[in-house]
Amino acid sequence: MNYLVSVLLLAISTALINNMVFHYFVGNCPFIGVSRRVDTAFGMGAAVTFVVTIAAALSWIMTYFVLAPGAPLTAAVLRLVRPGSTAVADLSILNYIVYIFVIAWAVQLVEMYVRKFFPPLYKSFGVFLPLITTNCVILFTCLEIMKHVPVAGAPVAEPWGLDRALIFAFFAGIGFLIAIVLMAGIREELEHCDVPAPLRGPGITMIIAGILALAFLGFTGMDTTLARRLAPKPPPASAETAARPAP
Amino acid sequence: MKRNYIQQAWLVIVLACLFGAALAAVHAGLGPRIAQNRLNDTLSQIPTLVEGAARGEPLEIGGRIVYRAVDGEGAAAGWVVPAGGQGFADRIELLIGLDREAAQITGLYILQQNETPGLGNRVTEPEWRARFAGQSALAPLTVVKGRAGGAGEVEAVTGATVSSQSVVGIVNEAVARFRRERPEGAP
Amino acid sequence: MSERKNDGPTPMERFLGGLIPENPVYRQILGICPSLAVTNTMEGALTMGVAALFVLLCSNILISLIRPLLKPHLRILVFTLTIATFVTIADRVLAAYLYDMSKQLGPYIPLIIVNCVIIARCEICASKQRVFTAAADALGQGLGFTLGLMTIATVREILGFGTWFGKWLGWRVIPATAPAHWSNWVIMILPPGAFLTLGLLLGVFNALTAKKEKAA
Repeated sequence: MNYLVSVLLLAISTALINNMVFHYFVGNCPFIGVSRRVDTAFGMGAAVTFVVTIAAALSWIMTYFVLAPGAPLTAAVLRLVRPGSTAVADLSILNYIVYIFVIAWAVQLVEMYVRKFFPPLYKSFGVFLPLITTNCVILFTCLEIMKHVPVAGAPVAEPWGLDRALIFAFFAGIGFLIAIVLMAGIREELEHCDVPAPLRGPGITMIIAGILALAFLGFTGMDTTLARRLAPKPPPASAETAARPAP
Repeated sequence: MKRNYIQQAWLVIVLACLFGAALAAVHAGLGPRIAQNRLNDTLSQIPTLVEGAARGEPLEIGGRIVYRAVDGEGAAAGWVVPAGGQGFADRIELLIGLDREAAQITGLYILQQNETPGLGNRVTEPEWRARFAGQSALAPLTVVKGRAGGAGEVEAVTGATVSSQSVVGIVNEAVARFRRERPEGAP
Repeated sequence: MSERKNDGPTPMERFLGGLIPENPVYRQILGICPSLAVTNTMEGALTMGVAALFVLLCSNILISLIRPLLKPHLRILVFTLTIATFVTIADRVLAAYLYDMSKQLGPYIPLIIVNCVIIARCEICASKQRVFTAAADALGQGLGFTLGLMTIATVREILGFGTWFGKWLGWRVIPATAPAHWSNWVIMILPPGAFLTLGLLLGVFNALTAKKEKAA
């Protein structure tokens, strides 16, 4: 399949079909906590998109070069310490610990960098940066990427290079941004409504999220249809024959 | 305060060493069992996918893992090709059984799917999967709504045409790729 | 025992407090992500609850033991390191002994690391209290969390599949012969059902609490 098409499909399926909030349920704490006003929601979404892309790049690099079974750097160190050893160095048990510290570090880095060089940007979403370390979207994205890092000698269903990982992470952030801004828009209107007392606050927010999730279900299947439409006309023959109407 | 980092951070360093040791112990104790669990997931299906096969041997072809199915005496019985792709709702991961010449599909097993319960997830049912066994692997399969008649036709699951087409698409692509990349000569 | 007087609640009060009055899911609205993601079956909810309870208990005890040594500005780092380690252990144990559950829960087990319930208990309670108190607190909060997950899962599994603990015990609640519109509401298994169930249960919980307060 054409590279651009596959990138487009990955972007659509990450941002809309498998939306972080409505499909994977991650990032719900800020989704409920910081969705009272559209501008703060936008700031939060932008901050998450920014950090998740950087954290994804770092974690892909760490996984590929250090953590995965037989990773080049670890293997080199092993050969240095124990020349002639045939054991495969596997540090994957440290994955979760490394990811959470990579995320914490990325957050610090982004905060310092943005404060120094882009003061207006810092004004718009700087206050959210420290909160992001414990945002599940970021860790979840790193964990998804972990499953796709190409490893020598182990089955990876769909190997992603650094490029795919970055696209996935960026659109995961965009998906979160879309969800939280939509929610904030609805909640601004909701302030004029008479909500039954027990449902006020988180209760009604969850119910609205449920209805939004129902709406997002409408996107399912969009990428398979698009893939068939955009598939190159000649080979692979599979795409051509699959589109042929039934006799 | 910054004069002595060690004084500040000794607790973190000691804890890190302790946790490292604990994790190493856990990994040494449970690692083999987890690896076995993972392998069983795939390997236990091989006898049902390829007739006469007793076990599978992993091989790497074109950066992907395939399994050479062998019978009790170690003679080749066929191939098992893991494949995956986007379904209607989420990714579908499956195993395809092929005969020795990779000319005929001998079986299909869905490892993982997240299709709509009651509709799309019926692709996991044995009756539907059985429609793949015996199909030729030389030409791509087609999905038909209603009764399938001709060669190379697979009847769609009622109400789940997209899920059915996804599975057939994954099978077609994986079989074609395997036939291109498989080692020359007899397996 | 004059020390305990200043400590606020006794260990027993802390334990009971975590179950309902301070329930992490319904009262503090923490740890929403797993309460939505793993609650379409009872098995998933119970496994997740027990894993979180294990991590919470172990890290609370450890933090409480080393609390005199904690440097204030390094404490979050120590908490994160501790929690991440215990989560890795829980994840490996599940993968070794309950492989099916580990596959079903997937990334949601490692996501316990960023579950606010645990880091909040380390900060609020374990880093200030004695071991016994901290352990009682962790047990209460952990069981309260499990209880929260299981109530949501009860609603979703019964309406969605018509069973309760269907995979392990095979109990059918709604008979298979029931009219079609009474069984297998697919929507309850899909994401929207999770949000709707939690939203409505939150409303019920708030209404009950309000009623009780009025009566008292």
